[in-house]
Amino acid sequence: MKFVLFPLDPVHDVALKMLNRELLKRGHQTILLPPDTKMEEVIEICQKEMPDFIMVSRTVGYGAAELLARFIDMLDAAGLRKKCKVVVGGKAITKELAAELGYDAGFGERTSWEEVIAYVEGGRFEREEITVKKTKKDITQGYTYEVRDSAFRELLDEISDQILAWAKDRTSLAIERTKIKEKMLEGEDLLEEYLKLCDEVVVSYFRKNVLPKKVRLITKEEKEKFERLVNRIDFNERILRHSLDKPLVFVQYGTGCPFMDAMHIKVSEAWGADGVLHFDPSWGARCEGLLEGLLAHEEDGSIITLENLKLIKSALNSSTLWCVRAHRGLNTPETVLLAARAGADLTKINMVYGSLNGGTDPERLTVDGVYALQLSARYKLPYDIPTNEELGGVPAHKAFAGMLVVAHLGVKLGARPILKPLFCYSPDVMINDYMKDNYVDYNVAKVLALRRIMDAPIWPGEPIGFMTHTEDRVQSAMTTALHAALASSLGLDAITIASTDEAYARGAITVSARIDTLRAVAEAFRFFGRARIEPTKKAEEYAENIVNGIYETLKKVAERQDFVAALYEGLFGTREEGANPGRAGRGTVRKC
Amino acid sequence: MNLLESEVGLMIEKIVDAIDIETTLLCKDEEDAKNTAVQYLKSLGFNDVDVVFVEHNGFAARIRLRAYVFRPGDRYAWIFGGDAR
Repeated sequence: MKFVLFPLDPVHDVALKMLNRELLKRGHQTILLPPDTKMEEVIEICQKEMPDFIMVSRTVGYGAAELLARFIDMLDAAGLRKKCKVVVGGKAITKELAAELGYDAGFGERTSWEEVIAYVEGGRFEREEITVKKTKKDITQGYTYEVRDSAFRELLDEISDQILAWAKDRTSLAIERTKIKEKMLEGEDLLEEYLKLCDEVVVSYFRKNVLPKKVRLITKEEKEKFERLVNRIDFNERILRHSLDKPLVFVQYGTGCPFMDAMHIKVSEAWGADGVLHFDPSWGARCEGLLEGLLAHEEDGSIITLENLKLIKSALNSSTLWCVRAHRGLNTPETVLLAARAGADLTKINMVYGSLNGGTDPERLTVDGVYALQLSARYKLPYDIPTNEELGGVPAHKAFAGMLVVAHLGVKLGARPILKPLFCYSPDVMINDYMKDNYVDYNVAKVLALRRIMDAPIWPGEPIGFMTHTEDRVQSAMTTALHAALASSLGLDAITIASTDEAYARGAITVSARIDTLRAVAEAFRFFGRARIEPTKKAEEYAENIVNGIYETLKKVAERQDFVAALYEGLFGTREEGANPGRAGRGTVRKC
Repeated sequence: MNLLESEVGLMIEKIVDAIDIETTLLCKDEEDAKNTAVQYLKSLGFNDVDVVFVEHNGFAARIRLRAYVFRPGDRYAWIFGGDAR
């Protein structure tokens, strides 16, 4: 067949060139005209060549309808309209517009050349539906947790052994409640025993049906309607990464309402998130005992109850990784238990951060943390170790020393830790000008340092780019995307990303703000692919300093021969550095 | 997905949480931009409104306005239908 291809456009003709190439390959005869050819000339050429098809393209939307109408009139007047089929395509075209103007066919944006070829050759075109089937990944797979340097290994062994020996004959209200709760979950009626170990707010809830402030019960009707909604949600899964398998992308949720959480999760999954993290309200960390039932909360943080967690679980895609934060407060071991029973894949435990910046007493959180790590091992629930004390001003090396202790301790107990350095513009970084030139070197240095010490998965968060975000949506998405690209370039295992509402503190995060960053991260992954970001020589220098700083911190802690005292005395961060030993639960640890 | 198509007709009831409006206003300063914007949103019938972001530069302000339709903990129309409004 013979084709005249005519770009009715001042400059754009790429699509026609591609089509021309395909037509030639298939043995057709073509005449490809340059952009900006006058319509009169096209008519003359068509009269001379008498093509089977005249293929017109139009990219620029302005004046498209008028020009295309004029062209079809000219073809009509020249007697060509009945002799040739006339097809139009391009960004400015819709099927409806083409039909209205009298063209035989119209092809809009995102048309594949296969579709056009099928039309002109009279074949069938079946749009290939690309379905992505995501599978759940084990972030810890393949890591040995070997401490690479014997000097570090000896220190970490010494500190871990001291913690285990100390915790061996100690218990807390949380540990005892967890033991009771385990039996209750097996069907034993031990509520009265459980309540003896709880604060008044929990006791009042169970005995007098008094709800905590700004908390309401979710009704059965609401739950049923929600389940109907979730069951009807269907979407094609999407993978954010372009050429690489890593990093997995996590988002945090904790709007207060399990229904809203679930909708945020579904939207995030639909736009490519691989995992989600559950954040509870801050008051939950300071209250002995957990509530029960389906509960909505009018402020940030979604209440930890088994029923709430199961509701969230029911909304998750089978491939979505789910982490439930446990480490901060007075219910750390019980939260790990409920997370495991609700089907979580991961939890979050860091006694150092939780007690120095999370408000819980160091002694209490150490004994609870050890028990929580044992549960993490028993339920095969890997745990990540965030180091957000950096945001308070603690230098990275001290935060990392704490993280490595908690990691090594967990490994000794049979659990599988994930290191979580912050990719952030922290106070320590600001004071020392580590990021005066760029945000790359110091973040790279953190990863280099950790890799030199331990063979463990690394998942920067929470979230990446902390303290670089502003309320400007474009800036916020951009900084997240660039930090994500850096994580990808470093071959890291996972990242937690913020929404573009990260710096907006006057209202709830919106789902649109989540989509913003997921789209931006996907674009960053597409842009870089396997290409790497190259740090300057400073990164190596910083890494060396961080490694030395970690070593010195561990040495002092080991020499102190008392991990808990080391926390109180500021060896993992002083008060001046923003580390303030918490008070919640102080004096509640007892010998057993 | 055709979610809720049969039960909910109005756009406002399909909104998950909020409407954001981004625009550029010709105004003398940030305060002027904020006041004008909030007034405008309220004139549309929204009560739970805020200025998420504003950047003024001499004569114009780039601004993002937000009107929450549903806050966490509300009875969302996308679960409970039109009667939740």
